[in-house]
Amino acid sequence: MNDTENGTPRQTPEFEIVIDGRPVTVREGETVLAGARRLGLDIPTLCYLPKCGPLTSCLVCLVKVRAGGGGGGRLVPSCGLEVQPGMVIESETDEVRTARRTALELLFSDHVGDCLAPCHRLCPLHLNIPVMLRQVETQAWDAATSTVLRALPMPAILGRLCHHPCENGCRRGTHDQPTAIRDVERLVADRDLASSSPFLPPRKPATGKSVAIIGAGPTGLAAAFFLLREGHGVTIFDRHDKPGGSLRIEVAGGALDSATLDAEMNRLRALGAQFSLGVELGRDETLEGLLPRFDAVLVAWGQKDKARDSLGLTTTPTGIRADPLTAATSRSKVFAAGAAIRPIKHLVRAMSEGRSAALAVHRTLVGLKAGGEQRLFSSVMGRLSAPELGLFLIGHNPAPRISPGQGVLRGFTVLEGRGEAGRCLHCDCRAEGNCQLQHYGELYGVEPGRFRSQRRPFEQHLERGEIVFEPGKCILCGICVRITELAREPLGLTFIGRGFDVRVAAPLDRAIADGLQKVARECVEACPTGALAFKHDVRPPEP
Amino acid sequence: MKPPVSTIHSAPLAGPDSAANPPGSVDLAFVDAAVERLGRTPAALIPILQAVQGHYGYLPARALERIGEITAITPAAITGVSTFYDMFRHAPVGRHLVRVCHGTACHVTGSERVEDALRRQLRIPDGDDTDPDRQFTIEPVACLGCCTLAPVVRIGGSTFGHTTAEKVPQLLRDFLESQRALGGSARSTEDLKARPGRAIEIHVGLGSCCMAKGSDRLFHALVDHAERCGGSVVVKRVGCVGMCHRTPLVEVAEANGRSTFYAGVQPGNAAALLERHLRPRAWLARVSRFWENAIDQVLVDRTEPDQVRSCALDLREGSVSAFLGKQVHIATEHFGKLDPLDLDEYLAHDGFIALRRCLAGLDARARPTPLDAPAPHTDADSAPGAQPPGNALSPERPPLSPEEIIDAIVASGLRGRGGAGFPSGRKWQVARQQPGAVKYVVGNGDEGDPGAFMDRMILESFPYRVIEGLAIAAVAIGAHEGAFYIRHEYPLAVRRVRAAILELERRGWLGDALCGSPYPLRITIKEGAGAFVCGEETALIQSVEGRRGMPSLRPPFPAQSGLWGKPTLINNVETLAMVPWIIRHGPEAFAAIGTDTSKGTKVFALAGRVRRGGLIEIPMGTTVREIVEDIGGGVEAGRRFKAVQIGGPSGGCVPARLADTPVDYESLQRVGAIMGSGGLVVLDDSTCMVDIARYFLQFTQDQSCGKCTFCRIGTKRMLEILDRLCGGRGHKQDLDELESLAVQISRGSLCGLGKTAPNPVLTTLRYYRDEYEAHIQGRCPAGKCLPLIKYHITADCTGCTLCAQHCPVDAIPIAPYERHVINLDLCTRCDSCRRVCPHHAVEVT
Repeated sequence: MNDTENGTPRQTPEFEIVIDGRPVTVREGETVLAGARRLGLDIPTLCYLPKCGPLTSCLVCLVKVRAGGGGGGRLVPSCGLEVQPGMVIESETDEVRTARRTALELLFSDHVGDCLAPCHRLCPLHLNIPVMLRQVETQAWDAATSTVLRALPMPAILGRLCHHPCENGCRRGTHDQPTAIRDVERLVADRDLASSSPFLPPRKPATGKSVAIIGAGPTGLAAAFFLLREGHGVTIFDRHDKPGGSLRIEVAGGALDSATLDAEMNRLRALGAQFSLGVELGRDETLEGLLPRFDAVLVAWGQKDKARDSLGLTTTPTGIRADPLTAATSRSKVFAAGAAIRPIKHLVRAMSEGRSAALAVHRTLVGLKAGGEQRLFSSVMGRLSAPELGLFLIGHNPAPRISPGQGVLRGFTVLEGRGEAGRCLHCDCRAEGNCQLQHYGELYGVEPGRFRSQRRPFEQHLERGEIVFEPGKCILCGICVRITELAREPLGLTFIGRGFDVRVAAPLDRAIADGLQKVARECVEACPTGALAFKHDVRPPEP
Repeated sequence: MKPPVSTIHSAPLAGPDSAANPPGSVDLAFVDAAVERLGRTPAALIPILQAVQGHYGYLPARALERIGEITAITPAAITGVSTFYDMFRHAPVGRHLVRVCHGTACHVTGSERVEDALRRQLRIPDGDDTDPDRQFTIEPVACLGCCTLAPVVRIGGSTFGHTTAEKVPQLLRDFLESQRALGGSARSTEDLKARPGRAIEIHVGLGSCCMAKGSDRLFHALVDHAERCGGSVVVKRVGCVGMCHRTPLVEVAEANGRSTFYAGVQPGNAAALLERHLRPRAWLARVSRFWENAIDQVLVDRTEPDQVRSCALDLREGSVSAFLGKQVHIATEHFGKLDPLDLDEYLAHDGFIALRRCLAGLDARARPTPLDAPAPHTDADSAPGAQPPGNALSPERPPLSPEEIIDAIVASGLRGRGGAGFPSGRKWQVARQQPGAVKYVVGNGDEGDPGAFMDRMILESFPYRVIEGLAIAAVAIGAHEGAFYIRHEYPLAVRRVRAAILELERRGWLGDALCGSPYPLRITIKEGAGAFVCGEETALIQSVEGRRGMPSLRPPFPAQSGLWGKPTLINNVETLAMVPWIIRHGPEAFAAIGTDTSKGTKVFALAGRVRRGGLIEIPMGTTVREIVEDIGGGVEAGRRFKAVQIGGPSGGCVPARLADTPVDYESLQRVGAIMGSGGLVVLDDSTCMVDIARYFLQFTQDQSCGKCTFCRIGTKRMLEILDRLCGGRGHKQDLDELESLAVQISRGSLCGLGKTAPNPVLTTLRYYRDEYEAHIQGRCPAGKCLPLIKYHITADCTGCTLCAQHCPVDAIPIAPYERHVINLDLCTRCDSCRRVCPHHAVEVT
């Protein structure tokens, strides 16, 4: 920022301020936010966009001014706070972070919308179902496979055996019948396995650590899948000659064909899993023998094994005692999960326990604080009224639920699968994964429901130019209002009303699209939440 | 009983939905004319909208579009602004607007019950605001500033004080009656000119409160009768007398120096009042009057002269001297004596001496000529004694340079009277130090606190003094343009200040040559449009610039970068009213009054559950107890003084046990309250503290601009908790949640409104936590929270049926000579039965 005066450039004065005890050089006229970002501090902002100037509406960028600039320990939004010589700022303290979290929690308390669709939240393995369905509908098969295998360890098996709790939450189900999610997922998995080179999810660089997993049943296999992806080595021990554990019972019963089971086992092998079969712990191998050779041992055997041997670990009437969060047993480096702890009814639940245990083991291996998996973060609307559901039904595919024409055993054809995927109502947020509010909410450990009370009705306006406006998700940051002002939109957007009932709309009772004749894309991209979106913009898959 | 339809409104009004107006059905010629008159820039937006609403009664959609077409104002601004301010309506209203005041004093005296009764009486359906015949539209307002008359209802231009649910039918009848009598228009009190120098002067207080009690009708009645009496009597309008609890107040000053005060005189007694002081010249008239009186005495119990006599006040009487005794009048100097708009009288009372000293201190070129030189004052009515005193520039009071003015303000210790108490001198210094030729001064008369009316009274009663203060501030910082921002709910204040500015301009003392000096100063009036937050400096600036009144982050402070980005000095009008006195008497005299850190006096609006409410000016440091008990006469007999609420929605409660707290900035802050703008509402044991906290939070939540997260959503969440508590649905953990939320909101909010909004909750939680806990257990100890109380009739009932007759919802079956029973399913807890029961047989539990 050079000021030219009489043709000679004049340097803007620079000086130092202190943020969280660290000095940083700033230029006169800069904001504290700019200084903090130079220090690499991730001060959250929602309403800040450089071209709009400080709008100071969201107040999640608060910092504490200890000295300078009025000082006095005030909390001030850093996006609008100009640096002053001698300033001492606190940013990452408990007090400041509590204030920011409160601001975020207040915003969530008035945020009408689901980040994640109910099916996604209900899936114990957190499969992003709506994204998968949209990928199937548009025949983006590789992307769909990648979406599925990011979440599911053995999708072809789950596609046949899962009891699909996701479908219970499907909003389509309150209208007619839920989308046949499991069958679509199976189609994706089967297409992939039928290809010349089935998809392998990326593995992180090898860590050099190795884990012994006792039991090649659903929990152990799932744990192996996630540990392998984190870059660890995995050896799976099982007293049977073939891997699969209880899955073998399903094969015997005819619900699962052994070819599919073998194909999924091959995928695990291809990921790097070692199988040590026909080896029984207590008979062929002991815990004492394993511990020096492995960095961790995860006991994931079934209920049948529980009575035989406790391996010297503390037990409960139902199995080995393990911390529900960290999977730690009474012995260090030994973990337990799944049916080794208590009976588990559902396959997908057994696998999700394997996943949780894997992540807990992973944290220990890489020296992170012991802890479990983070809960899936999402704003939650809960039950929808009939008119609210009606908004999701606008333009929906009216076809009833499709059953596989070649019989349940054969699954969907591509045509059927695409048709069924098209029945999805897209009730997840269009900004999911690309939303500042969701991002910082998760980062700050926000409880979205902390201050929630009677929620406002959900609204969704589908407008010209594919614009989707969801006022309930608007946090009134003012960015779009300002952008239309700067662009001299003929109509533009404005705040309407005052106080708690302020909303953003086009003036003179016109439609949002009328106010966004020039800058619709810019506003959609700048919107920090999913309040403004384009109807068919599918979020780019995460790297 | 319907009044004749006046010609303006004879066109049939459209339905409630403005969309029902087909485009073009609205005659837009008025819009074009208004724009022509008021300008096409964004700053003209609010005045244009006000004019349009004044004409059509609301803002027709077509008119708004038209404004966008013919001005440089964007549609976004038009919609944004017209939906931000309370006063603007987008749908047609009934013929008469019924404004129910929900100020603090009105709230604690039962405004909600009055509104319920009005809705019932007018048959306004739930969820609507207008009756099916579209005669009346009910509109709750934050505060009409007539707190001593609480609860107050204003219908059209008529204000009704001390209303109750039972009086509502009569009140509506009275209103319609007066409409018929006056043809819908009240007589003005602004264009009258007093003619002093007669044998008898009758002073009638014409502040808004007095007028609400009929002082304007009394004034006109006295004028009419005085004319008939010949020339020996002059009826003079004066400003607020302060003793609002005795209004309408009349002072009869006789030539021999004797003065008699009358309180509560009715217009019908005007003749009798005059007769009491005048001996009719004609013996015939005397004889005829004697006979009239004699006949009256036979026919009615009390005659008019009797009624008048009973109104006479003895100034030596304890209550009057107690009320006035502790007061020191600086901002309200010469209260009750000055005609608010008589410039010559103001001059005769040292008016504009201070300003002239300041102008004289500008450089030699700018030295003022004698006051009356530039525009010879030829008003034949002006009294000889009204010339400015010649010794205004006496040797011991030399001219003051701008720096010396500011030094004097600094030395006086004057702090902002608007609430925060920022040292005024410092603010002036900052504004003066700013480079640039263009600066502004603004008098902040946006007194939005419910329960406060000091600024209104000062503007109504002392417009010249406030203008002088603003002019001195302008000279001190080097500004040539000034404005008063006055809330539109104070129409009389707007009219008086406007009239005063016009009078000064007419004499050539404002405009190109301030008081005859070469110093140009223009002063305009900006009317607010109904938004409490606009009292906040940065929001006020937004509003003056024609935008939504949303505060911005300070710094930069307005004194550095304010109106149109120029340095702008914003002072509360009470602060400005102190300035001339400080300059005249010297800063030492001012600093000698008050405490170490709080100098001078403070004007308070004393109202609520107190016997002698009114407007008082007291030295800083006076204790709460002195105010409530000595000046206010304590609470009503049989009641217990519980607390005072100071500082309105930003302030807090001072409990009775801390009544010895001196009223100064720091002491009040220590106990959790703030000085605020000066609303002081007395609460007694019939006041529920949880309800009071909820009341204030409801107010700030309504008035939040909606910009920042903490205030917009946080206050709403707090209010929900308080609603739960008052509704008997509270949980144990609610109190902790409430407290932690309150702390976060006061820490995190962007502007003063949000930062102080939790104060009423925090102080009541601090001093009355037991009451909160009682609510969680389902009890309201004060018997105020309707869902938690029940009415029943005790064995003392004699079966007189009065309660049953007055019950508006027939919840009490008539049972002569038997104990009555209340059907609690029907009962609305309107309190009518308890009020009318002569045997105190109605109990609240």
